[in-house]
Amino acid sequence: MLGEFEYLLLSAAARLGDGAYGAAIRRDIEAATKRRCSIGALYTTLDRLEAKGLVTTWMGDPTPQRGGRPKRMVRVTGDGVHEAKAFYDAVSRASRGMSWAADRARGSS
Amino acid sequence: MRLGWWLLSVLSRALEPAERDVVLGDLAESGEGVGAATRNLLGLIVRRQAGLWLFWRPWLALFGVSCLAGLSLSRIVFRLNVDFYKYAAHYATTLTARQEVAFLLCLAGALTVWSWTCGFVLGSLSGRAVWLTWSVFYFVVLDSALARFVLAGNIILRDPRTHETPLDSPQGALRLLMATMLPLSIAALVSLFPAVFGAFVGVRRRVLTVHHAYLIAAVNTALTILTTWSTGWYDPAHLPARWPGVPWSTRLLPFLLASWPAAYLLACSLPTGSRPKDQAPLQPVPEP
Repeated sequence: MLGEFEYLLLSAAARLGDGAYGAAIRRDIEAATKRRCSIGALYTTLDRLEAKGLVTTWMGDPTPQRGGRPKRMVRVTGDGVHEAKAFYDAVSRASRGMSWAADRARGSS
Repeated sequence: MRLGWWLLSVLSRALEPAERDVVLGDLAESGEGVGAATRNLLGLIVRRQAGLWLFWRPWLALFGVSCLAGLSLSRIVFRLNVDFYKYAAHYATTLTARQEVAFLLCLAGALTVWSWTCGFVLGSLSGRAVWLTWSVFYFVVLDSALARFVLAGNIILRDPRTHETPLDSPQGALRLLMATMLPLSIAALVSLFPAVFGAFVGVRRRVLTVHHAYLIAAVNTALTILTTWSTGWYDPAHLPARWPGVPWSTRLLPFLLASWPAAYLLACSLPTGSRPKDQAPLQPVPEP
């Protein structure tokens, strides 16, 4: 079972697709959670997900915006998608019948 | 501002080279101020350093080399300091001049080889945690023999007649601080400089070639035997009433503790030995 931050990271990487790399994922998580995301948490979690086979990473091309430094590109694997779905299903089941979940369902409809 | 980013790049040297570039790039792209960027970078460094201690190698370096071998080396450094003074002053020894020179050369040479080997194995085992294991090694070698003598009452910090301590005056405090922090004696220099060099090589190379490992092990063994043997001149000469002095097996023990890293080094270099794996958390891989 994924941890909360692992799920956030997988979701951000999947949403960004080919543009998923460290700084972009960090921005996406901060926008989603409205909270600061530290680089330490991001990269140690990324290493853990890679060790579990849920993401693959590789070095991208350097860009002038980054002072000519490379990016660490991220791609979610099939196992990563499966685990993220399992986490989401578990949270959805656990939230069934809760007042906040009902409010959210009404708000989105 | 520019100084801040320069300091950040210096700080980032605590990370693996590949990760260093990526993180500095992320910080530059995020447009954060130097303060926030420093906090972020320090957070990552602390996590990476903590992650290194999840493996057994830094623990072996800390307890096996920094503490165990360091304690023995400290004792030998202390002994060499005393002997430098004693032989230079021709104090209470019945040794011939040649025997004195041979003894000092054996001990100084052995100390150099033991220290280099300890430093190399520290670097090899600890990797990026070497700053911590080496610092512990440094203070154990420099201060543990002194602490042992102070605790045993052989060195008196407080004068019972005047109840004065070195810490009562700024000069005394400074002198005590320098004595415990800096390698001010010849023996400490003979030990700690090769250990720094060994750690530097150990971090970079991790494993020696078989030929180099055999050479280090052979020199180590020869000097250990010579030192054990030549110390036999010292004890009977110094304590004629207690012939044959301290048994050779007792004299050999601290030398073995100081030289076990050479055996480890040799075992790692053999083709069937376990080689330290690069524990880099991030390795560049080609794009899939």
